[in-house]
Amino acid sequence: MTESAAEAAPKSTRFLRPERVKEATLLAIIAVSVLVFAFLIEGYLSGRFFNRVTTSVVVVTLLAAAQALVIFSRNIDLSVGSIVGVAAYLTGDFLAATGQGPITAVLVAIVVGAVLGSVNGLLVAYGGVPAIIVTLGTLALFRTLLSIYSEGANVLAGDLPSWVLEFNNVTLFTIAGFQVRLVFLIAVFVVVGLQFALARLRWGRRIYAIGSNPSAAAQAGLPTASLVFWSFVGSGALAGLAGFMFLARAGTISATAGAGLELESVAAAVVGGVSILGGSGTMVGAFLGAVFIDTLKLSLVRVPEVSEFWRDAFLGILILAAVILDTVLRNRFNRRWSAEARKAMESTGPSAVGMARMAGGGGGTADA
Amino acid sequence: MTANKRRSRVLGPLVVVALILAACGGDSGDTTTTAGEATTTAAEATTTVVAETTTSAAAETTTSAAAGGEAVEITAGDSITATFLPKCTNIAVFPQANSGAEEAAAELGSDPAEFVGPADCGDTTGQIEFMTNAVTQGVDAIMLSNNSGDQLDAPAQAAADAGIPVVTWDSPIPSATGESVFVAQVDFDETGQVMAEMARTILGDDGGEFAILSATPDAANQNAWIAAMEEVLATPEFENLVLVETVYGNDVAEDSVTAALGLVDSHPDLELIMAPTTVGIVAAAQAMTQEGLCETIKVSGLGLPEEMAPYVESGCAPEFALWSFVDLGYLAYYVAYGIATEQIVAEEGATFVAGRMGEYEITADPTRDAGLRVLMGPFSKYNAENPGT
Repeated sequence: MTESAAEAAPKSTRFLRPERVKEATLLAIIAVSVLVFAFLIEGYLSGRFFNRVTTSVVVVTLLAAAQALVIFSRNIDLSVGSIVGVAAYLTGDFLAATGQGPITAVLVAIVVGAVLGSVNGLLVAYGGVPAIIVTLGTLALFRTLLSIYSEGANVLAGDLPSWVLEFNNVTLFTIAGFQVRLVFLIAVFVVVGLQFALARLRWGRRIYAIGSNPSAAAQAGLPTASLVFWSFVGSGALAGLAGFMFLARAGTISATAGAGLELESVAAAVVGGVSILGGSGTMVGAFLGAVFIDTLKLSLVRVPEVSEFWRDAFLGILILAAVILDTVLRNRFNRRWSAEARKAMESTGPSAVGMARMAGGGGGTADA
Repeated sequence: MTANKRRSRVLGPLVVVALILAACGGDSGDTTTTAGEATTTAAEATTTVVAETTTSAAAETTTSAAAGGEAVEITAGDSITATFLPKCTNIAVFPQANSGAEEAAAELGSDPAEFVGPADCGDTTGQIEFMTNAVTQGVDAIMLSNNSGDQLDAPAQAAADAGIPVVTWDSPIPSATGESVFVAQVDFDETGQVMAEMARTILGDDGGEFAILSATPDAANQNAWIAAMEEVLATPEFENLVLVETVYGNDVAEDSVTAALGLVDSHPDLELIMAPTTVGIVAAAQAMTQEGLCETIKVSGLGLPEEMAPYVESGCAPEFALWSFVDLGYLAYYVAYGIATEQIVAEEGATFVAGRMGEYEITADPTRDAGLRVLMGPFSKYNAENPGT
């Protein structure tokens, strides 16, 4: 259904879809800021900096993906930072006790995250409580439970199997000083996989459909509750994986690990063009948003003129500027784009294009 | 739809419970830090007004107890209520300090102090609320590790006005406003000396470039140690050691890793990162380890032996130092108990015996313009020969 609907859309709009425009704009903004920083900071453009960003962006990338997954269905998950903390701590504890290998560790982290995500999912999807309230509650609940569990003690790097401390440095191949590290590849793989699934698979299109118009989706007979539930489980699982990455990066885990990351994940998703109102945005966009914010963070640290006190404010200003620029550019494209669509509608009749816009979500129900 | 509604009636209260628990939780570090900085100037404005009344108020409250002369042995008496307020509850050293305070309370036959504070050390304004609450509750004593610069002046003064002794430990109130006495872990000047010496040991006689990775720009003890170290560095003996930059990791692991790697990238000739914070030092050591930089850039500072063990072994952190936080909490409780039960007076020259730790004297604090101090000491240095674990 999805395929044929897309085929039905006029050729001219196919490559200039709004999400492609958003992604291209953001990519351009990232490129411009890198150039600006290259002027400000000596020795900035190097393979080393590429390695820094690609290693440090992993946690936020996974969280931006987790966030996007629930935002698409017009929900939000403010508990991801706490899930990272719990998953990192419990996985660390598990590794300290058993000395298992990476695959088991990743699985433990993902399962811990998914279980916590399912708590959110149950309350939101079947409890009918707004996601922002549920996850605000679990944000503090998960963290408090972790504080009680940890009794203020940290997971110590010395107790972990030695592979954990080196995990971030595992490099698959190096091109001219640019290292492609395993952790980055995992993050990219997750993003691309989800992008594909959300764009092509039935449940993916349905999640967008719920976000576009929840009551219409329910009216159309979509299993909205179970889709929302599973999107929270997925979000939790991704946050759990991010927790494992956090463990590998920090080595020592305290009960505050990951605190504040929820806001960063929302920022990354929104900067990446994911509409906070649901129904639109892409995983690739969220990924680019994470890259943008992380690049700014890592670069600002190296600009001595921006003092410690101003850095956060400066980061906020730059993010706002990026979003405004993105909105202005997008509106221009949108105007042109809707004019084209109107023209197309006049020539082919309203229903064909209209259905194409709705994409596979509504269409899929017929087969279900 | 009706089925959904019925379910929500069951689950609704669960969410309420979750939200109530939420009130006990902490909040996120990064965002609150900037908010705290914004209010600093306002707090400073009130400081100057109240500071003048401090010393007289502290002196007036106590006349009965013996001052000077022979040491007063602090003994078990009435049970007191007290608040033990650390910079935050989630950094390993603070529960350690609290366990020392509990040990002292047990010896003195008193109820243990309430251990409360912001969950997150990046939260520099959270302590204000806890201080204010303690005063409102009318506890008999407050033991505080200040993480809020001058912002606690007003609530500390309110405590002093209510006759509640405020014993600071680990990190004092810079202006000493409302503070009875500061239980210093080590002499702050000695911290500077020890850090400079460790830097010289690691960098060798030919010296080199090093940088400091601190906690928050508001942490009074961090700033005092760094200032003391800079003074030592100015002497000819240490002229080969070049301090290139001081950065802050907010005592948050992720921020500290980012800050440490930022230092590495900004200063190609960097040979050492000195982190006078237990969070920063371990984050810096981990950052160097995973980037394979341990050969060229060493890490030192103040760290917990159990957290630093793998990095001492790998040679990433050849030497670092610390004192016992258990002892610090123990001593702080003895001092607070002694003052609250009027066995000792918070004034210069008073001497006392604090349980297993022996005799101490209250002196003027040489590291601040005002305020009294009890000096605990000494430092322990940890390295491959003495890993401390």
